Amino acid sequence: MAVSTPILGIAVLIYMMVVIYIGWIGYKQTKSTEDFMLAGRKVNPLVLALSYGAAFISTSAIVGFGGYAGAFGMGVLWLVFMNIFVGIFIAFVVFGARTRRLGVNLKAVTFPELIGRRFQSRFIQGFAGALITIFMPLYAGSVLIGGARFMETALNMDYNSAVLILAVIVAAYVITGGLIAVMYTDALQGALMFVGMAILFFLTYAKLGGVVEAHQALTNMAHMVPENLAAVGHTGWTSMPVFGSPTWWTLVSTIVLGVGIGVLAQPQLAVRFMTVKDTRSLNRAVLSGGPFIFMMAGVAYVVGALSNVYFLETRGMISLEAAGGNIDAIIPAYINSAMPDYFVIFFLLTLLAAAMSTLSSQFHTMGTAIGHDFYREFLMKGKLGHTISITKIGIAVTIVISVILAYILPFSIIARATAIFFGLCAAAFLPMYTGALFWKRMNKQGAIASLLVGTFTSLFWLTFVHAKEASALGISRALFGVDTILTGTWSVVDPILIATPLAFITAVVVSLATQPDPEDHVDKCFSSLNKSDRPA
Amino acid sequence: MLGIDDPQIWLAYVLCFLSAVGCIIYGALKWNEGEEEEEC
Repeated sequence: MAVSTPILGIAVLIYMMVVIYIGWIGYKQTKSTEDFMLAGRKVNPLVLALSYGAAFISTSAIVGFGGYAGAFGMGVLWLVFMNIFVGIFIAFVVFGARTRRLGVNLKAVTFPELIGRRFQSRFIQGFAGALITIFMPLYAGSVLIGGARFMETALNMDYNSAVLILAVIVAAYVITGGLIAVMYTDALQGALMFVGMAILFFLTYAKLGGVVEAHQALTNMAHMVPENLAAVGHTGWTSMPVFGSPTWWTLVSTIVLGVGIGVLAQPQLAVRFMTVKDTRSLNRAVLSGGPFIFMMAGVAYVVGALSNVYFLETRGMISLEAAGGNIDAIIPAYINSAMPDYFVIFFLLTLLAAAMSTLSSQFHTMGTAIGHDFYREFLMKGKLGHTISITKIGIAVTIVISVILAYILPFSIIARATAIFFGLCAAAFLPMYTGALFWKRMNKQGAIASLLVGTFTSLFWLTFVHAKEASALGISRALFGVDTILTGTWSVVDPILIATPLAFITAVVVSLATQPDPEDHVDKCFSSLNKSDRPA
Repeated sequence: MLGIDDPQIWLAYVLCFLSAVGCIIYGALKWNEGEEEEEC
């Protein structure tokens, strides 16, 4: 470490105190269920944009995918474009306005409830809630690993204690302050992340002699691609991998499409559209949301790739080599050796903020999935019962599961777990969610069928076909004696490319083959939906 | 362009910038649109 631990410790302490203070304000302002679930539906547009972006971009996006760019180059910039165009513009303008309106029409307070009420199905709400409860801890666990590994190296503390401290602090403000605390702390963390990444962006280009010079130097390094990476399609850091090679498929199907499109159906992000007062707030949020994502993902990937130039100039080697072959260590290695000390402290806080903001939104979504969607609506058939208490217990239980996962999962799982969860959400929820918002004829049967087909096709593909997960899980080998039941290109095609189209087709075919939903209900759902889409 | 030879990469780089700028322009142009009465 280039900086002294006491200074960093003090900085982290001050930061934690501010976060807890905001969490306490959230607690004071939370008076009703709607406050706890939806922050009272009156969140400021800038807070929405920052909290959406901060929840969206976790440590894994900055360190995991930034490191990926360091190893494989700038092709991953397509993901940045997708993140901004699909993840912000399409999400807010096309999906957001309708989601908000539908949420108001149906008095829905969670993402599964929105879909469940649109199709008048407690099964959909319960199943979606259960799916989130089961699989989101995997994603949350991996974010926890990223945050705790940072605290371990930066503060010289024990990894296990770091996991526990991080989880307890986030749990404290999520459980007491609900979504108000989550969104306002997210916004603060988002602002911190924005400043940190902006400094990193300018310092990196300045250090490497300018934009064009830095890129040209990176382009000139193409001959330095290691042989083992060249064999799987790597052609250099400023060129796309060989079309159809394993590297190309991972980049295009898992990363660019999987994460790029999967974001639309993320329950913890979609729920935020229902927290604002009107479409105007969503329009305003686009203004800050686009540049925010650019500063996060864009900067992380550009800097990750350019770190190769820095390490060539200073140590005569590529980044992957400088980081000891560990992709996840590229960004920390670059920051530690290339950036001034004061910035190292600031950047470490940025990473901590990125981890905490994503964690808090995950914990909140998992808690409401258990307490509201599964317990109240599915088990209690809508009776209030002990919803808020169960939600809080639910948050605590999922946190414990995430902590246990953080102890047992391998470190290298971070980027994979994120992509798996995004892909599963895309396949299970996207067709149903899209139909719910845009297609009046889509009915309950079509929605249930697409939910089941999307979920189980995705899980089947992960278990038996997609080589990375299938061989790690070992279920296919145990049952059939082979790592994957399909071979060749199939084993590198991400589940999202198979399961999502299949679920879309199922939704359309089953809806058309069965009776439409009652007209008065559909009219109620779509009441003034178009108006809010095209504001006067 | 920009020191990057492969059009598939510089296009992505330029699109990242343009989409971020596009978001700023969209948000600014629609700043006062879509306001609604108090509800729920």
